[in-house]
Amino acid sequence: MKPVVEFDEVSKWYGNVIGVNKLTIRVPAGVTGLLGPNGAGKSTLLQLATGQLFPSQGTVTVLGQRVWGNTSLNRFIGLCPEQDAFYEWMTGWDFIHTCARLGGLNRIDAKDAAGRALESVGMTKNKDRAVRGYSKGMRQRTKLAQALVHDPEVLFLDEPMTGTDPVARRDLMDIIQRLGGEGKSVMVSSHVLHEVQSLTPNIILMNRGRLVAEGNIREIRELIDKHPHHIVLVCNEYRKLAARLVEWDDVEGVKVLARAQGLMVETRSPDAFYGRLPQLSLEAGTAIDEVYSDDDNLEAVFKYLVNK
Amino acid sequence: MLFRLQNIVKTYGPVTALNNLTVTAPTGAIGLLGPNGSGKTTMIRTLLGLIPVNQGSGTILDLDFRTRQLDIRRMVGFAPEDECLFPQVVGVEFVAYAGELVGMKTKDAMQRAHEVLDYVGLGEARYRRAESYSTGMKQRLKLASAIVHDPKLLILDEPTNGMDPAGREEIIELSRDLAHNKGMSLIFSSHLLPDVEAVCDHILVLGAGKLLAEGKIQDLKQLHQQCYEVRLKADPAPFAHKLTNLGCKAAMRDDLIIVQLPDGQSPQLIWTLAAEQKQQIRHLRPQRSTLEEIFLTAVEQQ
Amino acid sequence: MPIFDPGYQHWSGELSGHGWRWLAIARHGYRIGMKNYLLRIIMLVAWIPAIALGFMLCLWGLVERKSELVMPLVAMLDMFDPEVIANPKEYRAEIWTLCYDTFLLMELRFSMILVLIVGPSLISQDLRFNALPLYFSRPLRRIDYFMGKLGVIGAFLGMVLIIPSIVAYVLGLLFSLDLSIIPDTLPLLAASVGYGIVMTLSTGLFILALSSLTRNSRYIALFWLAVWFISSVVGGVLASVDQEHRRHAAYRRSAEISVAQPNANRPPADRQREQAARMADTRQMRQQEWLAEEQQAAKSNWRPMVSYTANLSRIGQAMLNTDAAWRKLSLNKPAEERDRFLLENLGSQYPWYWSAAVILGLMGLSACILNFRIKSLDRLK
Repeated sequence: MKPVVEFDEVSKWYGNVIGVNKLTIRVPAGVTGLLGPNGAGKSTLLQLATGQLFPSQGTVTVLGQRVWGNTSLNRFIGLCPEQDAFYEWMTGWDFIHTCARLGGLNRIDAKDAAGRALESVGMTKNKDRAVRGYSKGMRQRTKLAQALVHDPEVLFLDEPMTGTDPVARRDLMDIIQRLGGEGKSVMVSSHVLHEVQSLTPNIILMNRGRLVAEGNIREIRELIDKHPHHIVLVCNEYRKLAARLVEWDDVEGVKVLARAQGLMVETRSPDAFYGRLPQLSLEAGTAIDEVYSDDDNLEAVFKYLVNK
Repeated sequence: MLFRLQNIVKTYGPVTALNNLTVTAPTGAIGLLGPNGSGKTTMIRTLLGLIPVNQGSGTILDLDFRTRQLDIRRMVGFAPEDECLFPQVVGVEFVAYAGELVGMKTKDAMQRAHEVLDYVGLGEARYRRAESYSTGMKQRLKLASAIVHDPKLLILDEPTNGMDPAGREEIIELSRDLAHNKGMSLIFSSHLLPDVEAVCDHILVLGAGKLLAEGKIQDLKQLHQQCYEVRLKADPAPFAHKLTNLGCKAAMRDDLIIVQLPDGQSPQLIWTLAAEQKQQIRHLRPQRSTLEEIFLTAVEQQ
Repeated sequence: MPIFDPGYQHWSGELSGHGWRWLAIARHGYRIGMKNYLLRIIMLVAWIPAIALGFMLCLWGLVERKSELVMPLVAMLDMFDPEVIANPKEYRAEIWTLCYDTFLLMELRFSMILVLIVGPSLISQDLRFNALPLYFSRPLRRIDYFMGKLGVIGAFLGMVLIIPSIVAYVLGLLFSLDLSIIPDTLPLLAASVGYGIVMTLSTGLFILALSSLTRNSRYIALFWLAVWFISSVVGGVLASVDQEHRRHAAYRRSAEISVAQPNANRPPADRQREQAARMADTRQMRQQEWLAEEQQAAKSNWRPMVSYTANLSRIGQAMLNTDAAWRKLSLNKPAEERDRFLLENLGSQYPWYWSAAVILGLMGLSACILNFRIKSLDRLK
């Protein structure tokens, strides 16, 4: 799959302070999550990708072209920044229409595009009120609309869902997933891990300006050797099950969760473990009611890799 | 009983913020949920005794909120949503001042400030000016200043908003500890539902000034009888097909199969099939509604 | 050995009644103010007039006791009129009044500077860093907040106005070793303390109102300077213009009168002598008329009221009753010089309650601004 956004050994520093350090990433089409603790360099990455900063080293390419100084490329890029700054006296519709015109659309197309963009974020009802009177959720939706209005190929969203209530959140997540499904490349930077997890399995994890992990969450988890997988099993005869499990070579630890009537098993070869599980469940007396992995999720991956 | 509000009506000109709100809340950790504009902020301010209401009555910690407003605020700690600071002071002076404003003597306030700052984990940073703190540290400082006078009720308004995962975990950890182990009642108002789930046992859902739903989270997340979520290592579609042949109802959701077993069957049915097909089952759990589903249903019903 | 849990402990101490809440706010503001290096230097400098006041009162005490230390010094410096030195006890109240008057006039300037340094950041920093929800979610009301902030100004102004007044009074009392001073001069002490309170309230409320208008304390400081200087300058200019106007009118009138009455029948030398005598007469007449006019105009000359500080000093002048002191001293001068002496030394003569009205009006306006800007949390957003 041809990468849409490419960073090739990119570094950026401000005086002495490092923003990003030898970053090489290839972002494919679809939704990608950009994660990292505060100060990891996520905002710097987004600014480099949209051509707002010039890399101190390396090259940044979007859709096959260099971004820096390439204003015609902005036609295909949409940015929803983290900062909240509008022309407060304008109505929502005015604002989006102006953005559409600034994006290069002629008057007729801009009108249609503005209407469509506001419709897709669910702001049609409130489009004629001044931005000054909008709630936080409405402002976030308007920001997203302005990123979408010129129908870009690549979207960069920086914390698009801060301060929104769960209803607005769900709507915005649906929009983002739809855009990913349409073949656009959407990069979402967020601190809210469970939301990124529902949006996409592909992530880019950064820490201190460097790339820590890139790719599918599950694959990344498999690669983390240092931490054995935690697998929780719930069973009526959990102690009997524990006795059977301890006999297996690849089981490194079994912890009893008495309150949940289950066990937490640690193993470094989850594949082999899961393979033997159905047989074990059918054996006498150890019917397994539930099985799930405690740390096969983004929160665990984040914690293990960022290692605070 | 933590607080009880009866038929509260509060209007600001043409806008009705609270519309005949009646709610009784038990002690413990309570989550307060609601879309924007549902009256959450107004309800919190009513609980703090900050605003008069058009009509209605109620008690907070057994004090009538219409007459004993200052007494209520002695026993309640509040961490507001926006970024707020006392200017030009270092961390420990900040917390001590917060205590003095409630009525603590200077020495008590200083001693207590150090104690509370140890608890929230601001070590040497307490001797630096509060303006220089990172977001996570400012939130913890706000929390410390809210508990310095040992309130019986702590109200946190969007405490994890905009924080990175490490910071969020710290706040959740502290809130959980205070509510469950240290005997402080907690009202946790947030839009981030997993955080509410991690901290609270009981939730209140507000919408358009009314109470839409309430109850213990465990009770609300009903078990769907005979429904299970299954995830396999490999492609789930053929497996789902086979399950349907065995008499189950199988639907796909993301990468999960939602299986409804026929009556009388147990998950062993699924294991048997997995053993036959040489498939690895990576996730098998009874299906429960998520808090998000509960919330969205409650809001839609309104 | 039990292990102690270093985690959260409960606290069961006492909470004071909320009547003392303003004190906590004032103490806090005072501590923050004192961290400012410039402020500490200015306060030190502001004590110099206080020391001078103390010195003068002690000197006077020694003069009263006719101590050999001071008498030659005083005679040499020719500070007082001879009658005053002959009967010091008679003029005691007047001299003390004038000393206090000078002291308070100087401290008025220092107070304005202190308010300039401490005042602007009192409320504007709270607005900038959004501290108000932290304040009002605690058991205190808006009035406690305002009183606390006013208390900060009161603390600093008290240290340069009220405390030196009292300390100097006690020193003067000790140096004269005469308890009969007290009935003569106690109203003076009361008046100077009262003046300090008036100054605190007026400047305090005014700077708090300005401080609540914007988040940037520098603009407020500039505005305070502008109010002080520009209003003083404008008041002074108006007063001089008015005075010059009167002087010119007087000249014109006397020029009409002294158009020479021709008397051609006299010899030229006589005519010259007569001319000179007539001119001397008219000059004196002009002087008298001018003095009378000035005295009349001063009674209703509102122009000094334009200056903010002039209003404050007018009230001080009325409280200390300096006019009476000057009038008594002027009795020692020969009759012809008396009026001129009074004209030079008396302060503004318009009724003091005009200034009081201006000051009260400003205080009312400040209170309205504060009420409007610092809203309680009873609103929608």
